[in-house]
Amino acid sequence: MAFQFKPEVMVDTLPLLAEGLELTIYITLLGLAFGFIIGTVAGLGRLSQNRINRSLAGIYIEIIRGTPMIVQALFLYFGVPLVSGVRIDPITAGVITIAVNSGAYIAEIVRGAVQSIDAGQFEAGRSIGLTHNQTMLSIIWPQAFRRMIPPLGNQFIISLKDTSLLTVIGVAELTRSGQEIVAVNFRSFEVYLTVAIVYLCMTLSIAKGLRWYEKKLMARSRR
Amino acid sequence: MSDTSNMIEIRNLHKNYGDIEVIKGVDLSVKQGEVVVILGPSGSGKSTVLRCINRLEEITSGSIVVDGYDLYAKETDINYVRSEAGMVFQQFNLFPHLSVLQNITIGLIKVRKMDKAEADKIALSLLDKVGLPDKAAAYPDQLSGGQKQRVAIARSLAMNPKVILFDEPTSALDPELVGEVLDVMKNLADEGMTMVVVTHEMGFAREVADRVIFIADGVIQEEEAPDEFFSNPKNPRLKDFLGKL
Ligand SMILES: Nc1ncnc2c1ncn2[C@@H]1O[C@H](COP(=O)(O)OP(=O)(O)O)[C@@H](O)[C@H]1O
Ligand SMILES: [Mg+2]
Repeated sequence: MAFQFKPEVMVDTLPLLAEGLELTIYITLLGLAFGFIIGTVAGLGRLSQNRINRSLAGIYIEIIRGTPMIVQALFLYFGVPLVSGVRIDPITAGVITIAVNSGAYIAEIVRGAVQSIDAGQFEAGRSIGLTHNQTMLSIIWPQAFRRMIPPLGNQFIISLKDTSLLTVIGVAELTRSGQEIVAVNFRSFEVYLTVAIVYLCMTLSIAKGLRWYEKKLMARSRR
Repeated sequence: MSDTSNMIEIRNLHKNYGDIEVIKGVDLSVKQGEVVVILGPSGSGKSTVLRCINRLEEITSGSIVVDGYDLYAKETDINYVRSEAGMVFQQFNLFPHLSVLQNITIGLIKVRKMDKAEADKIALSLLDKVGLPDKAAAYPDQLSGGQKQRVAIARSLAMNPKVILFDEPTSALDPELVGEVLDVMKNLADEGMTMVVVTHEMGFAREVADRVIFIADGVIQEEEAPDEFFSNPKNPRLKDFLGKL
């Protein structure tokens, strides 16, 4: 029997993906919010005067960046409860995985952005009597943050796509929703095509938002 | 105790970067209201001396006393003393994300804990003083180099410093913009500001300096009033240096 493309299946599939889509967005946003906090702490830790802070941050970054996220999720969801005795639900595990995983990449973004600020900025801050922390907060951070926006947007796209890996711990996100629909109607082609298009719409929107932001920044610096 | 009439008192300053000794025993006193110009070939340690006076560098040995505060004593509040000594950099180092007004007020608000209205008033009067009364709302990237440097001077003046350190303030400027910055500096000198100026502007040194110092190889080679310094140089390296200008 020859394959027959049925576009109406795609139309029928779309509403069934809504809940999964919601969960994907929820996990991505929450995970990235925590990931940003973790990444800021680790990124500044990497730049700390204190050797212990520096190596702790370094170890975290290397371990996370050196292992697949799917393994991190499996380890956290199935492995850790055996030791801690506390079971966590898949969604929580998913958020933590995205947070811890993106945190390591965001740490490098933070470190790079802060290091890219001219040392003269720091000296000028200190020379008018600002403390180290005041200089970091009022002088360095606002400038570094602007430079972090494009790579952070990139990380946003990566983490959004990475949530699909959370199917392995049973999170009912977008990809998993697709799998469940296919299990019923066996229309892999139409269903996964629909799923892919939904991802693409999101990633393209983020990319477009980023380009808009960068243009705005350029216009401002040409002011 | 150090002589209290000296604003800056440097004793036997040594500074190493790793194994390399950059400052090899510098003694220098600057009186209140005095303008001292430092000359010397590139790499001789001029910037390093200034940076040590503002404690942007740790010193290897010796002592530096600014306005009676021993900079490297544990009990000294270094943030306080830093705000007493202004620094003007070759590359201006204005804060690009802040307006001209905010560049000047940030120290007043965050260090001096002044309220914004009062800080704005001081900033506006300083902008007037450096000849930029209409630039308060501008951002640094909208200014010429000479304007940037004048804002940087206003920024350091805002803290009402006892002394201002200038590190080649006109070296990054197009030649036609040098004059406007030197004029502001001359006015400061006339008002009695204590100034230490690293510069290659010989005209400024002759006209404004009370004393000119020649540094080479991390040591003060000659130290004289400008007339004697320029008309009758004794140190052979200084003769050579002046001959090349
Ligand atoms: N952070 C640093 N690390 C290592 N060497 C330095 C550093 N800063 C300056 N130096 C060296 O110290 C010497 C004096 O530098 P500097 O004080 O900047 O000279 P000048 O201002 O007279 O041109 C130079 O040889 C320079 O290469
Ligand atoms: Mg220099």
